[in-house]
Amino acid sequence: MKVEALTWLVLFLPLLAAGIITLFTLRNKAVSATLSIGAIVTGFVLTLAVIKFGGWDARELSVNWLSIGSLNVDFGLKLDALSLMMLLIVTGVGSAIHIYSYGYMRDDPGFSRFFACMSLFTFSMLGIVLANNFLQMFIFWELVGVSSYLLIGFWFEKPSAADAAKKAFITNRLGDLGFILGILIIFTALGSLNFTVLESGNSIAALGGMATLGGLLVFCGAIGKSAQFPLHVWLPDAMEGPTPVSALIHAATMVAAGVYMLCRVFFIFTPDALTVISWIGGITALLAALIAVQQNDIKRILAYSTLSQLGYMVMGVGLTAPEAGMFHLTTHAFFKALLFLGAGSVIIALHHEQDIWKMGGLRKKMPVTFWTFMVGTLALAGVWPLSGFFSKDAILAAAHENNLLLFILGVAVAALTTFYMFRLVFVAFLGDRRTGVAPVSDSKEAAQAGDESMRQARRLSYEPHESPGVVIWPLRILAVASVVGGVIGIEALFGGMFKPDAAHPHGLLAQLVYPFQHAPVAALSGLAAFAVGLFAAWKLYANAKTDPLPDKLGALSRAMANRFYFDEIYEATVIRIHDAIAAIADWIDRWIIEGFCIGLVRGGTDLTGRALRLVQTGNLQTYAFLFVLGVAVVLWFVLGK
Amino acid sequence: MNLSLMSLEIAVVALGLLVLLADLWLPVERKRMLGYAAAAVLAVLFLNSFTSHCSCAAIGESAFGGMFVQDGLSVFFKRLFLLAGALVLMLTVEFSDRVAAGIAEYYSLIIFALAGMLFAASSNDFAMLFVSIELITITFYVLTSFTRGKVAALEAGVKYLILGALSSAFMIYGIALVWGTTGKFNFNELAMVAGNFAGNKLFLFGVLFILVGLGFKIAAFPFQIWTPDVYQGAPTPTTAFLAIGSKAAGFVLLVRFLFSAIPEVTAQWANLLIVISAVTILYGNLCAIPQRNLKRLLGYSSIAHAGYLLLGVAALAGAIANGQSPTANAGAAAVLYYLAGYLFTTVAAFAVIVLVMRHLDSEDVSGLAGLHQRSPLLAATLTLAMVSLAGIPPLAGFFGKFLLLKAVIEQGAANPGFYCLAFTALVGVVISFYYYFGVIRAIYWSKDAAESSPIPLSWPMKLSVAACVTGMFYLGLFPGAVVNAAAQATRVLLH
Repeated sequence: MKVEALTWLVLFLPLLAAGIITLFTLRNKAVSATLSIGAIVTGFVLTLAVIKFGGWDARELSVNWLSIGSLNVDFGLKLDALSLMMLLIVTGVGSAIHIYSYGYMRDDPGFSRFFACMSLFTFSMLGIVLANNFLQMFIFWELVGVSSYLLIGFWFEKPSAADAAKKAFITNRLGDLGFILGILIIFTALGSLNFTVLESGNSIAALGGMATLGGLLVFCGAIGKSAQFPLHVWLPDAMEGPTPVSALIHAATMVAAGVYMLCRVFFIFTPDALTVISWIGGITALLAALIAVQQNDIKRILAYSTLSQLGYMVMGVGLTAPEAGMFHLTTHAFFKALLFLGAGSVIIALHHEQDIWKMGGLRKKMPVTFWTFMVGTLALAGVWPLSGFFSKDAILAAAHENNLLLFILGVAVAALTTFYMFRLVFVAFLGDRRTGVAPVSDSKEAAQAGDESMRQARRLSYEPHESPGVVIWPLRILAVASVVGGVIGIEALFGGMFKPDAAHPHGLLAQLVYPFQHAPVAALSGLAAFAVGLFAAWKLYANAKTDPLPDKLGALSRAMANRFYFDEIYEATVIRIHDAIAAIADWIDRWIIEGFCIGLVRGGTDLTGRALRLVQTGNLQTYAFLFVLGVAVVLWFVLGK
Repeated sequence: MNLSLMSLEIAVVALGLLVLLADLWLPVERKRMLGYAAAAVLAVLFLNSFTSHCSCAAIGESAFGGMFVQDGLSVFFKRLFLLAGALVLMLTVEFSDRVAAGIAEYYSLIIFALAGMLFAASSNDFAMLFVSIELITITFYVLTSFTRGKVAALEAGVKYLILGALSSAFMIYGIALVWGTTGKFNFNELAMVAGNFAGNKLFLFGVLFILVGLGFKIAAFPFQIWTPDVYQGAPTPTTAFLAIGSKAAGFVLLVRFLFSAIPEVTAQWANLLIVISAVTILYGNLCAIPQRNLKRLLGYSSIAHAGYLLLGVAALAGAIANGQSPTANAGAAAVLYYLAGYLFTTVAAFAVIVLVMRHLDSEDVSGLAGLHQRSPLLAATLTLAMVSLAGIPPLAGFFGKFLLLKAVIEQGAANPGFYCLAFTALVGVVISFYYYFGVIRAIYWSKDAAESSPIPLSWPMKLSVAACVTGMFYLGLFPGAVVNAAAQATRVLLH
């Protein structure tokens, strides 16, 4: 047996864990957690083994799932640098998050259910990563949608969580509709869905005039899953889920699936399609960064930051630099998971307080959380030599080569990134503890503040303290990954896959200085953007009691705080129209289909059933008579004619 | 004489006798455990049938001057029967507290009925056919009224006895007529001359009477009339065995008789099979709609399933009428596959009935209320069983129906009646959703649960439930192996 066969185990162990937990161990917390954590950690170790003994070369495993006549359905796994690296991210970062969840969810009554859902999610995500054809990818794509629905709505008794889960699911379905249409176009034109076959078959030429349309429809799937403009609205609401879920789904894995898919099928995109993709990514990056500047909920800031970084990645892919997109995806998985878990650590310490203006002075109380959070912030802001610098630089360099406008936009977003992250750090971790004065900038939260005064008083009577080991060890591990992620050869790995001809840096020192030699303008602009953002944040927020921006920016600030009114616009247009159509469809269904068509058929069938029942009298003589009558009828049928 | 070919049957009969003997010495409280032991032996025999030690490996041999044959078809069915016997015995142990006395006799009767089924699988001769059918039926008369304290069981037993005797009378009369006209008892010999008699009314009369007897066993219209009453009145393990074993035995005899003894006649009768299949499907499904008693509902459902199974028989008859092709046996292969799926599904359903309805007098559907809280495992099992019976992917029932319909539609080009049959079958499937989902609704959405105590499950029961669920999923998700085995097994039906 070859070592690749272990990949089957990596894929199916989480499903097994989810199944066992759901069926047998729902009442036993420790066993459930062990199964779930065990499955993903084993997956990580096995992935390492596969890479160690099998290398990064591209290869495929497939089994014939069913074969009926001429119809053959294969179930296959595709292994190459792209999928193996992604496998490492999902199992590696996933392991850290699973372990963290054991501490975070400890007192939750739905503990076992949580781990079952997490394992189901891991299985689905690994399925996307390993799929060797579009159909299989689409099936797992939908499974990811379902499992994220379950996780976002984990606290389903909270209406906001239930709504957020629905919103995420439905918004994703919109993108998926485009995705499946794109898949159908490709299948009709090319007759195969296997990635290897498509890639070798020169699919753009074969698709002809449909190539751009097909590519953009496939991209729709990524718009939904990776929360790109204009379907980005679900991601911030999805923060209603437990924090480990936010870290797993909305930082490291699910939202990365869209970018991963773009890279996997990069060969089907025409130059026109790529231009659209890069602009969608750029717009998302800018919009989300602007919105993040005026958010007050710690998880929402991180959510918008995720959106913004995903925009970067998509932009990178669109700028014909999928290796840069994947590189950023990898480093982002490290530091964003770290930031989310750090935020979770703060949230438990403050008894589920998420408003940064009610925090402050956490640096002394929670040193490990603070320092790891700081590492994540610096990595995200792109400080040399942390990982974020290198991956962001790769994207900026690609933009500098291809599209100056997008390059400027990218640098501006980098400055904004530093600004909102340090706003968060200055307000929440540095300075003095605040007494719980709610800021007026966010009208929704201000309205809720009154109801919450009781709970708030209780929260403030607690002294925040550092989280237990099971929570902070994953932070430490992820912090190390965030620091060194840029210089351990990931860039060369992806580069070698997508652009085997170009030169890629090898060796620690070469990698450290590579950006400055390769694209000095991009590298220096990135650092300048960091300096500008840091200075602005320090000027405005060091020791600030309330947010000074609303006064300075006025209407713009309100627009940012209200997320540029996207939800309201959708509410007024798309959802209204949709409701109207739904009402009409409901009427037709209820009265014409259900009442008339089905009612008639059903009534008729029911009546026949009741009438036939009368034959069954229970009287033996009748039975015997009917039996003989039956014989006579059969005889007549065959011989009588 | 080739006794070693029958070593499996001899082993099963010996097991039955051993159980009876053990009854004499075992203390009362141990007796119910005998069921586990017997089930374990059957499971070992089942596994052994895949090795070369078993008489099942001697494919193509025959004994007693060709009365008893061992071929792919018989081996497939023998494995099916052994598995069914083992699962039903496990079920019976759970049921034993409702049998007043003589539980060991109950076990041994099941084993004797199983022996009859094993003989039926190998029957290649009218004498063997009749004897094996009677061995099955007579033990079932006793099994049906075994809980003799219950009036319903006695009534069911008497009805089964009298109608069974009636059908046996028809059958033996038919055999006499066939023998009288042709002078042949052995199927292979009959096959050589059957073509000459295809116009002989007396011969066809006899053949039809034999079919009446077999139609009674499989509960096909118009010989289905006994089914609901007997299913409802009989003790639940008997019902389960009746639904799986007895029906499958009827099918193996029917298939062998129709296609190895009288293929020329069968080819003429494709239309008869189409009509019987269609009416059986509609009758079973329509009558199931107003039923509230779960066992009675499953009785009607089993009539409908006999109709589905006849789809495959009709398709094979059509294929033979159109001339042979390499895949002509697809219909019969589908029947075998469907029976395998039906085995797991039915045992699962009856197992849940045995466990849930333990303290209730009637098996009313309302007794399922709140089951999802009392035992999520059983609720899920029954739901899966219903979903599989209704034929929804990815479970066994779906793929079985798919194969049957595919076989039927392939014959449609030559005989449009097959298109009508496929359409009728689809209508039947749609109707069946109504009552199958009624059961699922009763499990999850009934308001007033009379009982809310958790249902204790013994580990052997968990094992057999898990086996059934695994079987349903395995057959539905990975049909390849069993479909190939079924295609291999039915190759003997093509000459």
